[in-house]
Amino acid sequence: MAADGTDAPHPSFAEYAAEPIPQAAVGAPGKDGVLDLRFGRTDAGTALVHDYTTVPFHVSGTLDHDPHPDGTTVFIQSPTGGVAQGDRHEVNIAVGKDAVAHVSTQSSTKIQSMNRNYASAETTLSVERGGHLDYVPEPTILYADARYAQDLTLELEPDSTAILADVVVPGRLARGERFAFERYRSRVRARGPDGPLFEDTTHLVPEERDPTAPGVLGEFTVYGTAFVVAPDRETAGLSDMLHAAVADREARTGATALPNDAGVVVRALGERAETVQAALRTAWDRARQELLAAAAPSGRKY
Amino acid sequence: MADGNPPTADGATLSAFRLADSFLPVGAYTASYALEQFVQDDRVTDGTDLEALLETYLRRQVGSAELVALRAAHAAALAGDCETVCAADRRLTAVTLAAEFRDSAERSGDRLLSLQRTLREADLFDRYAERVDSGDAPGNYPVVLGASTALAGIDEREACLLCCHSFVTGLLGAAQRLLSLGHTEAQRVLDSLQPVITDVVDDSADRSLEELSQFTPLVDVLAADHERADRRLFVS
Repeated sequence: MAADGTDAPHPSFAEYAAEPIPQAAVGAPGKDGVLDLRFGRTDAGTALVHDYTTVPFHVSGTLDHDPHPDGTTVFIQSPTGGVAQGDRHEVNIAVGKDAVAHVSTQSSTKIQSMNRNYASAETTLSVERGGHLDYVPEPTILYADARYAQDLTLELEPDSTAILADVVVPGRLARGERFAFERYRSRVRARGPDGPLFEDTTHLVPEERDPTAPGVLGEFTVYGTAFVVAPDRETAGLSDMLHAAVADREARTGATALPNDAGVVVRALGERAETVQAALRTAWDRARQELLAAAAPSGRKY
Repeated sequence: MADGNPPTADGATLSAFRLADSFLPVGAYTASYALEQFVQDDRVTDGTDLEALLETYLRRQVGSAELVALRAAHAAALAGDCETVCAADRRLTAVTLAAEFRDSAERSGDRLLSLQRTLREADLFDRYAERVDSGDAPGNYPVVLGASTALAGIDEREACLLCCHSFVTGLLGAAQRLLSLGHTEAQRVLDSLQPVITDVVDDSADRSLEELSQFTPLVDVLAADHERADRRLFVS
């Protein structure tokens, strides 16, 4: 990859991109991790029909504890301690016709401290007709001086659905580190059969713009969002149902209908990752019962 | 206003005053953009709290999203490019995740569009209204305002200032009904937000439609509560 800034994910990252890295360079083995997963429907349910990984990604097969009879689960593993400066990750997950897949990560994604360049991840998710994907990774933790950009694109074919959740923790809270990272930009975009559905961008630069301003994160620290994307399903009552299920949780949580009848978004704000994850998990579970008539898979990673 | 004649400088200024006036019948008094819930939650109890929250709205919603859409619509309207007006309109909807906010923006957009069409005949308004009626464009207020100001001869920057001013005065009006906020205090808040408004108008200048975004998670959560509140004065 170019180190001159021309491939930066966003203009605000161009200056970082031009900074050379003293250790393994951008593009060196282990820096450009790729993960490709493809799920297909077979007579025996959903199977992982193709997988390709390069360091630091690792996948050790599928798990079959999904409450949905045709569902299968993959946990993405990483043998490294986290995401370092110069890392450029690419994740592609495709769910074939009528397949039901759940993809998560083995543990939190730790974005390490940086003094040169930045790290980024580009994730492309697609679901073919009649399929369903749950993409619910463990939280992203932003260490002091981290610079991280992630871009997630979801493409849905007719009659397909997806549930995405993302939790961001602004530091190693237990050691009193919070909002000490330099820049975090995360964009989620979804397209349906009739074009763009919605787009949500989180851009935090604590030194320039106070993330705890009223109406932004306020007194809260951890921030999470779940998207229930089902443009071809009747979701008129789903927003109220999910809101009622999460409104009284410890995390401050609310649900609202997405633009373009795309489904529902649930936002949660809390003091700790656990409370935010618990609220989103409740929403995920309810939404899955509505969409698939099956509960959300347990968090069991074996 | 005369059909087809280009607006004079005085005419443009007077149109700007008319569009910025709370007398403009677009139903601004029905929208609080979740301020009602912030008051209900005791998160906003006086003019100082209100000013801080309004700064967030200006920086994280109005400036980073609405003004970007307004500018694109303004430029496209001058060029007679209805397609780009609709693209800006759809883009703004796609990033506005709070359902009540989309609803308020479409209601007042609809009123402004029909009002402007009765005052001034313009081919662009007809084509745009057709797209809105067919459901192809949502008809958001900032986009209608962008097209309206362009056709009234108001320049783009002034249109942005106007949009911020109307937004703030609308919410100050709501605050007067929700809080015991005096007229002088309301004017103080409006006056002290001037540098913020100038700043967000500057910041919006270089953003493309691709860069249009908003980020107010706590507002979104409170707006979700507001959607289901039993007793409420405001639609949003």
